[in-house]
Amino acid sequence: MRYRGKRVVMNCFEFERVLPDYLEGEHTAEQQAHLNSCSSCSDLLADLNFISSEARLLQDFVDPSPAVWNALEIQLRREGLIRDAAVREVAPARSSLADLFRRRRAAWLVPVAAALMIAGGLKLYRPARAGDTNPVARVAPASASPDSNSVSNSVSNEDQEMLSTVAARFPSQQARYRQNLDQANSYIRDAEQSIRNDPNDVYSQELLISAYEQKQMLYDLAVNRNGGQ
Amino acid sequence: MRRGKWAAGIVTVLALAGVALGDGTVRKDLRFKVGKHPMISVNNQYGPITVKAGAAHQVVVTAILHSDKVELDQSKSGNRIGLVSHLLPGADQTSGVVEYEIQVPADANVSLQSDTGPIHVEKLRGDVTIEGSNAPISVLDGSDGHVHVKTLDGAVTLTNIRNGHVEIVSMGGDVTMSSVSGPLVKVNSNSGKIQYDGDFGAEGEYDFSSHTGNIEAVAPAYASIDVLARSSNGAVQSDFSLEPKHTPFVAAVGSAFHGTLNKAASSVSLFSFSGRIHLKKRQN
Repeated sequence: MRYRGKRVVMNCFEFERVLPDYLEGEHTAEQQAHLNSCSSCSDLLADLNFISSEARLLQDFVDPSPAVWNALEIQLRREGLIRDAAVREVAPARSSLADLFRRRRAAWLVPVAAALMIAGGLKLYRPARAGDTNPVARVAPASASPDSNSVSNSVSNEDQEMLSTVAARFPSQQARYRQNLDQANSYIRDAEQSIRNDPNDVYSQELLISAYEQKQMLYDLAVNRNGGQ
Repeated sequence: MRRGKWAAGIVTVLALAGVALGDGTVRKDLRFKVGKHPMISVNNQYGPITVKAGAAHQVVVTAILHSDKVELDQSKSGNRIGLVSHLLPGADQTSGVVEYEIQVPADANVSLQSDTGPIHVEKLRGDVTIEGSNAPISVLDGSDGHVHVKTLDGAVTLTNIRNGHVEIVSMGGDVTMSSVSGPLVKVNSNSGKIQYDGDFGAEGEYDFSSHTGNIEAVAPAYASIDVLARSSNGAVQSDFSLEPKHTPFVAAVGSAFHGTLNKAASSVSLFSFSGRIHLKKRQN
């Protein structure tokens, strides 16, 4: 907590600690003063409220199978987003959004990352037909990288949102993120083309997973930092 | 919680001093008492972070703030210490710089974030998590912990990492590893080069993949490896006479190989879409 004159000013870390309570509706003048003066925390609060409202809409959807959740958990563990100790800590009950945030500032990234991984998984999931005993073979060389790079680098709505986030919070980084996003998307396109040429090519599937990991990292880096602001 | 443990777990600030250095910079010295396996996180948008192993049970921080456009926010909670360079309105890449030099217990876990860096970590046995934009990143003489690095364009250098669980994702930054071994060493690069020089340890899994970046691995003749290498559109070459193995794909000569060397204790995968792959034999 910093002192300016005799007035006590809350900083971002302190606000994070009380954010769960804030989300529950307990506001103080100090917290409100910090929110008014800190665009980073107010943006974050807006994001959390948006996710919270959108999450309610998801209740109408059918739950994915346990296998999907298991795959997500494995991936999140590998990324270090969840660890055994953390799991034990919250084992008694499913953590609420507020609890999750208490442990990790950018917890709202998780659904974004999950969406990316699910999208990648759906693209990868091409089961072999029953009775298909043909040997694995490459049909044709994958398209060369230069060709795919010449494909229009249009971005999806999700990508555009990510770039907008970067532009709003870190304007000087926007071009860098755009360039890297184009590279990650180019990698995805190349790997997808290889899989189309040979759907049973495990090696190309590995490359596609790597490409999605890169894209996930870009999202992670774009939102999982407060930039000290 | 027992009183002793409670006391050991508490992080206490022993000294907090800000000294104006006369050129607009301010030096702050902080000292924290910590217990076993403390967690130290540093978020510094502009400027270097150096973390080295020091005395047990204490964290010593020296921070040099380059202007009054940036403040140092600290937090302590149990065995966790957080340091944030808080940029004030008008701060930029010059005025927002803070230089950190931090000594931590060797068993500390650290999480470091900087856009510009450089970030340097030395002689730690705990987990190291580093995120950078274009910050050069180096980790030296680590052992027994996780080393997780995410970077856009910053070069990553790992040297003498033993029994590590290493995972690196880089877009354009080159990744250079020397004497790095452990149960898992995974590098995922887009256009950055991947260079490895080491013996691949024993019974580890080494996965290096790239989109367009070249991959070069240098190993001694005694290395015990099972190597699978393939590039869809780049040349693939091995200096070793490997014992051939069946590949799970049909590959043209010069674009892939799969073979073993010695007892094939460690698994090595070298995959690229269009980068060149070269498995070199160390000459000595």
